[in-house]
Amino acid sequence: MPTIPRQRPFVVEALTALALLAAPFILPHLGFSPSTINRILIYALVGIGFDLLFGYTGLLSFGQAAFFGTGGMFAGYLLTQTSFTNTIVALILGTLVAGVVGYLVGLLALRRTGIYFAMITVAIAEVFFFVEFNPLSAFTGGENGLPGVPSPNLMLGFKTFTFDSNLSMYFFFAFWYFAGLVIALRIVRSPVGLLLRAIRDNPLRAQALGHDIHGYKLTVFVVAAMYAGFAGGLLGLMQGFMPPDAFMFATSGEIVMQTAIGGAGTLFGPLLGAATWLLLSDFFQTTLHLGATWKLVLGIVFVLLVIFLRRGLAGAIMDLVHLARGKRQGRASPATATPAMPVQPVSVPAASAALPPRHTPLQDKPGPILHTTGLSKHYGGVHANADIDFTVNHGERRGIIGPNGAGKSTFFKMLTCEVLPSSGRIVFEGQDITQLGVADACQLGLTKSYQINQLFERLTVRHNLAIAALGEIRGKFKLDLFRDLRKVPGLDAQVEHTAALVHLAGRLDTPVSELAYGEKRRLEIGLALATSPSLLLLDEPLAGMSPQERVETVALLKSIAVGRTLIVIDHDMDSLFELVERVTVLQEGRVLVEGTADEIKTDPKVQEAYLGGVQGAFA
Amino acid sequence: MTAFDDHDGRKAPAALASQDLSSPAMRPMPFALSRRNALRAGIGIVGATLVPGIGHMGLAYADDKPAIGTWPAGSQGSSVFIGAAVPLTGTYAVQGEDERKGLELAVEHINTNNPLMKALAPKINNGVLGKKVELLVADSAAKPNQAVQAEQTFINQNKVVLMFGSTSSAVAVALNKFAQREKILYMAGISGSNDTTGKDCVRYGFRQGFYGETAANAIGPVLLAQFGKNRKAAFMTPDYTYGHTTTKSVADYLTEKGGWTVVTNQVSPLGTQDFSQYLTNIGNSGAEFLINVNWGRDAVLSTQQAKQFGIIPKMTLVVPYQIPFLAKEVGPDLTAGVFAATDFWWTLEDKYPLAKMFVESFQKKYGYRPEWGAENAYVSLGHWARMVTEAGTFYPPDVIKQFEKGETIPSLLGDVHYRPQDHQLVRPVILVRGKAKKDMKNDEDFWEVIGIVPGDKLMQAPDAFGCKLGDYT
Amino acid sequence: MINWSNFIAQCFNGLVLGALLALISSGLTIIYGTLGVLNLAHGAMFMLGGYAGWVAYTYTGSFLVAVAAGALFVMLVGLVTERLIIRHFYARPPEDQLLVTFGLGIVFVETVRFFFGSLSKTVPPPSLLTGITNLGFMVYPTYRLGLLGIVSVALLALYFVLYRTRIGMIVRAGIEDSVMVDSLGINVYRVFMLVFGIGSMAAGFAGIVNAPVVSIAPDVGDAILVQTFVVVVIGGVGSFTGAILGGLIAGEIVSITSMFNPAYSYVMLFIAMTLVLVLRPYGLLGSAGRE
Repeated sequence: MPTIPRQRPFVVEALTALALLAAPFILPHLGFSPSTINRILIYALVGIGFDLLFGYTGLLSFGQAAFFGTGGMFAGYLLTQTSFTNTIVALILGTLVAGVVGYLVGLLALRRTGIYFAMITVAIAEVFFFVEFNPLSAFTGGENGLPGVPSPNLMLGFKTFTFDSNLSMYFFFAFWYFAGLVIALRIVRSPVGLLLRAIRDNPLRAQALGHDIHGYKLTVFVVAAMYAGFAGGLLGLMQGFMPPDAFMFATSGEIVMQTAIGGAGTLFGPLLGAATWLLLSDFFQTTLHLGATWKLVLGIVFVLLVIFLRRGLAGAIMDLVHLARGKRQGRASPATATPAMPVQPVSVPAASAALPPRHTPLQDKPGPILHTTGLSKHYGGVHANADIDFTVNHGERRGIIGPNGAGKSTFFKMLTCEVLPSSGRIVFEGQDITQLGVADACQLGLTKSYQINQLFERLTVRHNLAIAALGEIRGKFKLDLFRDLRKVPGLDAQVEHTAALVHLAGRLDTPVSELAYGEKRRLEIGLALATSPSLLLLDEPLAGMSPQERVETVALLKSIAVGRTLIVIDHDMDSLFELVERVTVLQEGRVLVEGTADEIKTDPKVQEAYLGGVQGAFA
Repeated sequence: MTAFDDHDGRKAPAALASQDLSSPAMRPMPFALSRRNALRAGIGIVGATLVPGIGHMGLAYADDKPAIGTWPAGSQGSSVFIGAAVPLTGTYAVQGEDERKGLELAVEHINTNNPLMKALAPKINNGVLGKKVELLVADSAAKPNQAVQAEQTFINQNKVVLMFGSTSSAVAVALNKFAQREKILYMAGISGSNDTTGKDCVRYGFRQGFYGETAANAIGPVLLAQFGKNRKAAFMTPDYTYGHTTTKSVADYLTEKGGWTVVTNQVSPLGTQDFSQYLTNIGNSGAEFLINVNWGRDAVLSTQQAKQFGIIPKMTLVVPYQIPFLAKEVGPDLTAGVFAATDFWWTLEDKYPLAKMFVESFQKKYGYRPEWGAENAYVSLGHWARMVTEAGTFYPPDVIKQFEKGETIPSLLGDVHYRPQDHQLVRPVILVRGKAKKDMKNDEDFWEVIGIVPGDKLMQAPDAFGCKLGDYT
Repeated sequence: MINWSNFIAQCFNGLVLGALLALISSGLTIIYGTLGVLNLAHGAMFMLGGYAGWVAYTYTGSFLVAVAAGALFVMLVGLVTERLIIRHFYARPPEDQLLVTFGLGIVFVETVRFFFGSLSKTVPPPSLLTGITNLGFMVYPTYRLGLLGIVSVALLALYFVLYRTRIGMIVRAGIEDSVMVDSLGINVYRVFMLVFGIGSMAAGFAGIVNAPVVSIAPDVGDAILVQTFVVVVIGGVGSFTGAILGGLIAGEIVSITSMFNPAYSYVMLFIAMTLVLVLRPYGLLGSAGRE
């Protein structure tokens, strides 16, 4: 089964191409004027880039006008102020400049996330506006803009085609829109595309699975800037005039609103949004003569969409299609309803054998896999961990217990490099990883499953596992923007093996949001497992499970422990002692005692610690 | 994006034409009827074969004159459309509204054989060349982008035969270039930049009004005669082509001919609200004269705030490019004694009979005396009607050639002619001085005409500002 | 060579502008600090204050009534907006909050345009504050001097509310830790609603007292909103004192740069913001943790 189930390849592209070919002969009868149609394509193209940024990666930028203007002005400058006449080359140069500018702005803006990111993009876009307006007015014309941009042309050396009628200009724009869409579809279907969605849903987990999320964010920021820059150039060609308005905050706002109205995260949303926007604007002004009222109507529509229809028009259409299709299928084969999770103990040994941990031929490497010395962490005056010396050997299964507040989770966070220790060292497989980031630690083969599920809620089980597996297969950062996700060697195998291992093979194409709690718990472990760690940390893997599920999960953990090293935190002593060989007890941030399960059970210090802590822990 | 923003959502729309959907010109045009020959681009062949009709559309008019711009599609119905983009909102809204009224009156007069219009364009006959003229107006907000979009819509939907309007030279320059690309005639309305018929001139664009250079050369001698040599002036300049070129023309005249010094030039963006920082710089510059090149609401606000900061009356205000309704808005207290150059002032009715006819019919229709925005719009349309009727065709190259004959033609201020080299009308510049309130004979008697300077002496050589007109086709 | 009298005068301009920005920004920042919502309709609130005041002025001819009407009307708009819309967005991602407040801003602006048109309106200053005042070292428009006083008083009042009243304590505690306030059994929603109202009122009040200086138009809040962001980023998001410091810094940067070349004043302002972001990512007086 492919990673993205898609029976008919290129069907989206083919349908889009047909629609683009038919549009100029149909849309005018629906009240679209030719210039409106061309304008829709231009805004839809900026929107595609913005959709990659916002809809797919979750980065809401109110500063796209900076790149729209930069690309357009650069191309416009070449075509009006120099002897440059090749419009396509000018467009591409403008796009490249927008990309470079996007890279520089991205370096700054992506230092922060969420609301701060949005504010910074607004402010930086304003810098561009003011700089364009006066200091650079010798190049941009300032308030005047750049009039006299020629019609688009295609210079083949021996012959030059000029696209100067409505229809020919339309096909020029439609071609570029189509090219932009195809590129975006490729990106979305590539491993990078999946990782962008991972960043949108849960950036911290994406990072913990070994991905350089900053690198991917910067990539998509640059891509969006290039889309905007290219579309800016097209705007100049279409109007014969490159307006300074392209740099204005209102332009950024329009791009945001159009994408949100059309539906973010769909790539087609911006097209729908731009069409709705511009058609309503035409309709209200030239047919109803209501002047600026159209903006009020659109504003209200926009607010209502944000409140009630989060995924915009495209989302609503897709929901309707799914609903219709779901009903039909539901009638045809009610038996295909998702079966209850079958326990598949039989397949487990085979699967785990096929999924070896990397780097670690156990037999060859006796001795410690992980070693900490004097590891401490304090927040202000509070000592979460103090002076922990801790060693785990290859192939060992180690438990960590301790009363609430003993510092177990902080200790884990330091081991996985999520938190920088205040002092001390961590050595993993002979390498000092104390100063590394969480993504690097994961890349070395050290990862963690979380106490509270950290899943990619809007994606399927298959995609969740693929995100994890890609970390190992592709490394921390790789720009395979155009590679088909389904053609990544070894990915499907690893995803399916992991799924079998955590008993989710039958649920691969189910969205995470539809999973039962126990299934989510197993997926949480599966995510860590899919990175093929040599050292797996499990933070309360049994938390919240029923007794039956605990038994199954312990069996599961035992099976996956074959050939790898495990460190487990849990409060369920009985299950833990059954699972692990040795136990370390933490108390008040320090190591209290360490030993085998039996030794720990009888240790008076432990008894004492727990009598003051969790009552009846050994009952 | 707001190509048609109305300044008042509830008010009647600015577009005056009745949208008659049965007339062919108003029906939504499929692409196949695109205004230019789609066959020029190879890809257009697809369209031609897909849509029946495109072939003979092209053929029917392919005699000696190939289709160009909106010709002949734009003049095949019972009426022809003029697409005007004037500011009805924003900084220049007040002046744009005056301009719109001038256009409206001119179109009405063309369609009704009004004697005044007959004087400007004798061959009109309840319309031009047998067609009624209809006016379409969109709000440009004085923004070139909005103006270009509005005109593009007019071209697509109405096949306009003439584009009009600006009230911002940034718009005029953008529409100039747009007109040249689309091959549709364009008459700049109010546009004070030297560039409009200078470095950014085009074959398809014409200007009736005065501009920075002629204003400077008209008002300069008066300032020198009145205030003497070697004085110190501060300029306030709006940051776009009109402001820069006008300031340069005036400053050059004063420094070269009179040894004046420009102690500071405060350049502010169009639409500035708070001039305090600029005025503080001027207040501390030691200037004796405040030469305010700002326009529209910018001029009103900057002048009012100059008074708040005590700069007026400490410095003498000069307005080289007069702003319609400035005196009305800031009050005669601020404009009394102020020297200004302008295109037209209504008291000229005493001297010119056509001006009298214009002021009377305008006042009758709108209840106030027209300022120069209305005059400029009216005369521009009159000249267009004259040229089209004289040429006997809407075919743009022929109309352009009619303009370029440079024949002496009437205006409200006597005989004038268009310069064929740069398409600028050679016309007088009016010098005025603000009246004190006690001297005003009625509530619109703000300015006293102190001179009518013939245009030919004021203008630069046709090629001095780098005008290259470009092609006819 | 620096012209010192010009320098002093420009510093004074900066003070007036800075005080105004400080007032608007403090409204934005207390809303963000307490509710965690960045209100992109804050610029529209500034505009609404101006229009509400203008309407009141047209009917009564009293500047005082206009100021009261502007402030109270915008407070009401804030309360209603929070109750009907913003409240449903606390649990949604921050991007949704940005989108909905951005949309609300457009709806407010276009509604005003619908009823009052795009042409600008003016509110004259009260007769007491017209004319020019000679300060000895320079002359200055009396109303602008008065504006400095009015805005300072408003900031003091806001300070008093925030630091000397029970509601202020709750708000400040909420800025520190809204979960804790919740667990103390305080009705957080009522506090949130009130904070949104007060924060909006700060913008509305600024909108009407600034109306005599510049004329008001439907889009008058757009530029203000962006400048407010800069102030908040410089001062530190969520910090009341940061907003005041940031406002004054922003005002002075704009004014002092304009001594040399006004065209660069806003470029300099945004460069300053960038520097702060690089050197002190949480702003001059902000603290880490809120993102």
